[in-house]
Amino acid sequence: MQKQIASENFAALLQALIDAGTRVVGPKRVAGTLLYEPLTAPDELVLDELPRRSVKEAFFPVCEDLLTYEKQGQEVQVQDVDPARFPDTVLVGVRPCDAAAIPVLDAVFSWDYKDQFFLERRARTTIVGLACTTADDACFCTAVGLAPDEPRGADLLLTPLVGGGYLAESHSEKGEALLQTHADLFSEPGIDQPLGLAEPQTTPFDLKKIKAWLDEHFEDQAWDGIATRCVGCGACAFVCPACHCFDIVDEGTEKSGKRRKFWDACGFWKFTHHASGHNPRDFQPKRYRNRIMHKFKYYDDKFGQTLCTGCGRCVRLCPVGIDIAGVLEEIEKKAND
Amino acid sequence: MTTETIYNAVGEAIRIEAGRILSDGTVTAVVGYAAARRNGSAQPVVITKPDDAARLIFSAACVNNLAVYLTKAKKELPREGRIGIVVKGCDLKALVGLLGESQLKREELYIIGVPCAGVLGSTLQPSVELDAESIADKCRECDDRMPQGSDFVPLVELPEQPALDKKYAAEIARLEALTPAERWAYWQQQFSKCIKCYACRQVCPFCFCEQCLCDRNKPQMVEGTPRPAGNTAWHIVRAMHLAGRCAGCAECERVCPMDIPLNLLNRKMARELKELFQSEAGFEVREKGPLATFSETDDESFIK
Repeated sequence: MQKQIASENFAALLQALIDAGTRVVGPKRVAGTLLYEPLTAPDELVLDELPRRSVKEAFFPVCEDLLTYEKQGQEVQVQDVDPARFPDTVLVGVRPCDAAAIPVLDAVFSWDYKDQFFLERRARTTIVGLACTTADDACFCTAVGLAPDEPRGADLLLTPLVGGGYLAESHSEKGEALLQTHADLFSEPGIDQPLGLAEPQTTPFDLKKIKAWLDEHFEDQAWDGIATRCVGCGACAFVCPACHCFDIVDEGTEKSGKRRKFWDACGFWKFTHHASGHNPRDFQPKRYRNRIMHKFKYYDDKFGQTLCTGCGRCVRLCPVGIDIAGVLEEIEKKAND
Repeated sequence: MTTETIYNAVGEAIRIEAGRILSDGTVTAVVGYAAARRNGSAQPVVITKPDDAARLIFSAACVNNLAVYLTKAKKELPREGRIGIVVKGCDLKALVGLLGESQLKREELYIIGVPCAGVLGSTLQPSVELDAESIADKCRECDDRMPQGSDFVPLVELPEQPALDKKYAAEIARLEALTPAERWAYWQQQFSKCIKCYACRQVCPFCFCEQCLCDRNKPQMVEGTPRPAGNTAWHIVRAMHLAGRCAGCAECERVCPMDIPLNLLNRKMARELKELFQSEAGFEVREKGPLATFSETDDESFIK
């Protein structure tokens, strides 16, 4: 279903949702940094900049409690966190590179083990996407098969119009429901043209060819050249919309505490450090190789999808300038040789 | 001459010198900067062949403190023979500290010092031109534009240093004027953004512990999860551990993907150390810092 919404009606929509007690989450400035945060008023929304962290945290938070334990004498009381308590949420201002990562994550979080924490949030969340009209030279969504108006993952996709306001197209029942519940705020599409979309910044990668090279080059000198500069932090994984590794730890005292799930990253030396002291990835290039392999080979082998949406966050934020698009270019060149 | 012209001349001199010292066997490797894919971008590079010296550059996007590649987990670098390293004045202070802490030996280094008129504060958009807005805060109060004691310094003349407001000094003054409760609220909000990616630690030349206390989980010394308590503990532990050692390269602050102003903590600690012990990091090679030394002249007024 395709509708149109004026800017002031979009603000009214957010206000109506907030007033109805729905949790509305969108890009908002927190201590100077743009993050996806619950909005208390429509004017907190910032739409001209990509948030520093991706929207994955709406389903897979930086850190969350799984259970609480308490010991009294010999008795141990364990209290589960009930995923049913997660509130109904509408995500707004979600860029296509962020939204497209969510269905990619569905595959791994509902595979051999159904991750209730992820899936319950997923069921209770409606994603309102926003097409991009600008890009910088770190953006490469078009190079990994997506587009600045890619609807994948969005329940409702907004495209900015020349005269202000947005074209609103639903791509799921949830999106349709949002249009219908607030039908008074939307109108039939008029003559206003959509703003020009962001220009592609790079030529598309041949992901099949890249995967074919990765299939054959687990051992290759190229990895040393690519990743000797990697300093082993987790910035790339943590700002990535598709990286989803986590650790689980019990924190507290012997009397009481919590079991927590929190983000982990394959760049950390500790990631594969065994209890014996042995580390199969004992060298930073081996850890960086895993990052590339997981995104462009293993995830494809397992789920037929690529674990990268070209948002460019890791490119912009790597402390030592490692540029995943540059790495892919290099690999494609090797595959062609 | 514009800064860009000067930096181009610096880059040319670095290329020639790196080629020379690699060819004649003075060094086995040179750690420097090379251009990367994005417009105007630069990244650290380790070269071992004389021909690769042609890749080296210097520009306002050459922000990294390369001293980090000479310490701790950077076992990927060749460890035989001397290593050449390109340093700015602020980076050199870190080398001086590392020499004092017996992490490096002077004779194992070939220091290529860069006459520096400043670098960018952020490389989110590396093509940005260097000006009074985009220059790094640390460069606004730099006192070390010509690295002293290097083995090689390109012969260029730097333009006179423009007088820029000292942002750290102003921000520290602003925070000091707050009540403790307000100041606590400020830092709690900043630390609430922390995701424990440890980029601050990984780029810090002085965080060279083989295993960081904060990575231990048996027993757990600091809560490892990215939550308010553990985040605050982590940043306080780090600030204390760097007191008297950090010379202000501000890499921790630059790389923080959450924009936490970490160098404010370090500058505040540095100021305390200067006031209490008349000590400043990074100017002389010395074995023990102020917090590891007892002197009879130390202030003992806190003992009641």
